[in-house]
Amino acid sequence: MVVTVKLSKVTKTFKKGKRNVEVLRGVDLVVERGACMGVLGPSGTGKTTLMRIIAGLEVPSSGEVYFDDKLVSTSNRIIVPPENRNIGMVFQSWALYPNMKAYDNIAFAVKNKGEETRKKIEEIAELLDILHVLDRYPRELSGGQQQRVALARALAKDPSILVLDEPFSNLDARIRDSARALVKKVQKEFGVTALVVSHDPADIFSVADVAGVLLDGNFAQVGSPLELYDSPVSASVARLVGEINELDGVVEGGKLRVLRGVVERRDCQDGNVKVGIRPEDLRVSETEVQGMISLGKVRVKVSSYTGSSFRLVVSPLEEEKVELYVNSDRPMPINSEAVLLAKPEKIKVFKNN
Amino acid sequence: MSEFGPTVKAFLHQLILAIFVVIWLIPIYAMVINGLKSEFDVTSTPVFIPPLHPSLTAFAAVWSQLDVPLLNSVIVVIPVSLVATFIGAMAAYYFYLLSVSKRRSLNFMSNTIFSLIALATFMPYQAVIIPLTRIEANWGLLNTYGGAIFAFILFYIPTAALLMSMFMAVLPRDIIDAARIDGSGDLRTFFRIVVPLTIPGIISTLIFNVIEMWNNFFIPLVLFNVAKQTLIPVAVESFTGGYGTLYNESFAAAFLASIIPLLIFIFLGRYFIRGLVTLGTGGKGAV
Repeated sequence: MVVTVKLSKVTKTFKKGKRNVEVLRGVDLVVERGACMGVLGPSGTGKTTLMRIIAGLEVPSSGEVYFDDKLVSTSNRIIVPPENRNIGMVFQSWALYPNMKAYDNIAFAVKNKGEETRKKIEEIAELLDILHVLDRYPRELSGGQQQRVALARALAKDPSILVLDEPFSNLDARIRDSARALVKKVQKEFGVTALVVSHDPADIFSVADVAGVLLDGNFAQVGSPLELYDSPVSASVARLVGEINELDGVVEGGKLRVLRGVVERRDCQDGNVKVGIRPEDLRVSETEVQGMISLGKVRVKVSSYTGSSFRLVVSPLEEEKVELYVNSDRPMPINSEAVLLAKPEKIKVFKNN
Repeated sequence: MSEFGPTVKAFLHQLILAIFVVIWLIPIYAMVINGLKSEFDVTSTPVFIPPLHPSLTAFAAVWSQLDVPLLNSVIVVIPVSLVATFIGAMAAYYFYLLSVSKRRSLNFMSNTIFSLIALATFMPYQAVIIPLTRIEANWGLLNTYGGAIFAFILFYIPTAALLMSMFMAVLPRDIIDAARIDGSGDLRTFFRIVVPLTIPGIISTLIFNVIEMWNNFFIPLVLFNVAKQTLIPVAVESFTGGYGTLYNESFAAAFLASIIPLLIFIFLGRYFIRGLVTLGTGGKGAV
């Protein structure tokens, strides 16, 4: 039975020596039945703690955790222990049982061991392309295969919820994308509620329907991955979700002044602000471009190739200390001068703090 | 200083190893060749010179004295080591579970009981032998197999628990968590995952317990010692009399007494080494 997971005002405090460290501060969260929720956050913000509380491996200091309407954890008490929560979990280390072959690893989680189970495990293995390695020990498998065995183990028992803790961070960059696509595919195919925890926005973008940014023990923003990317509520969220240039700006009478450019911004209060512009929303050009505004002349400091596009580091002529990253479709000579253009609607304005 | 070539280096390594092996083999060598000497030869020839006319007379003479104690030792030591190691491993796993628990009360309990166990291990058993003797006398266990088994169990379960705790400490916590999440109870996790992963540790503990119990002289001396109804160390000691020592028979007896621990070590020794390596390398040897 797939469930809706609900957390209500969950806090978690650890004792570190004499000090109390508050890892989670009143987290509210709903992961709808069949949805895939991504939790993004830098290390040390309580991502793993949150996940372990949902799994029942950790006790919340206060607050409640529900699976559908059933209370599973409450203040300092675990009501349904992890072994009865029917959770499928993929650990960051994959945590395969080293003494068992891949098949037995997957079967370990399944209660009845009949012919039906064997068929089911083989079906899942086929889907995950590990059918031919089922009789091998984990140490004889590649990283990607181990991860898929761990995923198969989590899926084989028809979990109420699938929890993935940094599932891609131990994989080679080369196979990470196909692994992400596979996770997304099986999650939808099985219709299982899922929670993916990661510090890498690429994981969240490729897998999650809804994502939350966990900062300092609480969600700073929850929304679709695109929403987080395009309309982040703060500079910290913007930074976490993707690369961004941060500049100082001033708003006066509905106009935002940043570098040498002026943009209409009716929605902002007057005063000093932080301005964020993603590298793909900037362009360096000799001429004006329709729909883009000029931010003034810049000098190219670095021009590098990043695989599919070029990446420039530029500085305004009059402010050598400011450096901006700009995506470009062609390389530029070092020290050449050009005009920096920006898509005005993509410029993000944050409160100065 | 001149640089040594790789061949010379390898040769030196082997040479140093060979020297140590010879040093360690000297007592066994002396034990065997002197056991093969006659009573006259053993006192009149140097101890490292083999006999001109080796004979099994001394071995035959001591065998009639040692057969029952040897059998007794096997009956008492082997099962008790197995049981003590098994219970010790279970206890160690329980402590592991308590120690990774976030509950402060459980952590406190774990530390307290663990300290008690460590104390029990380090306490010299000679210190409690008198109350133990009285307890056994009251229960009618004195000079019975049951009495010896009871005493050994008492002293060697804590040792096993302590040793196994060191091997348990390197168990990856994720794997135990994964087993819990997979719906496995403590007992199933113990037998299906913990035992297979700590096999080198279990065998090391088993060997340690066998050798310690096999060589334990004091406990059988006090608690299990009526004529031939005793354990092997006490029986071997009886060849050293207050009025004179039959050296050739003493050597022969010592050799017969060491055969079983030697055999165990030869057959299981590599696990023992692997176990020690596991302790040093953070668990790689356990896989």
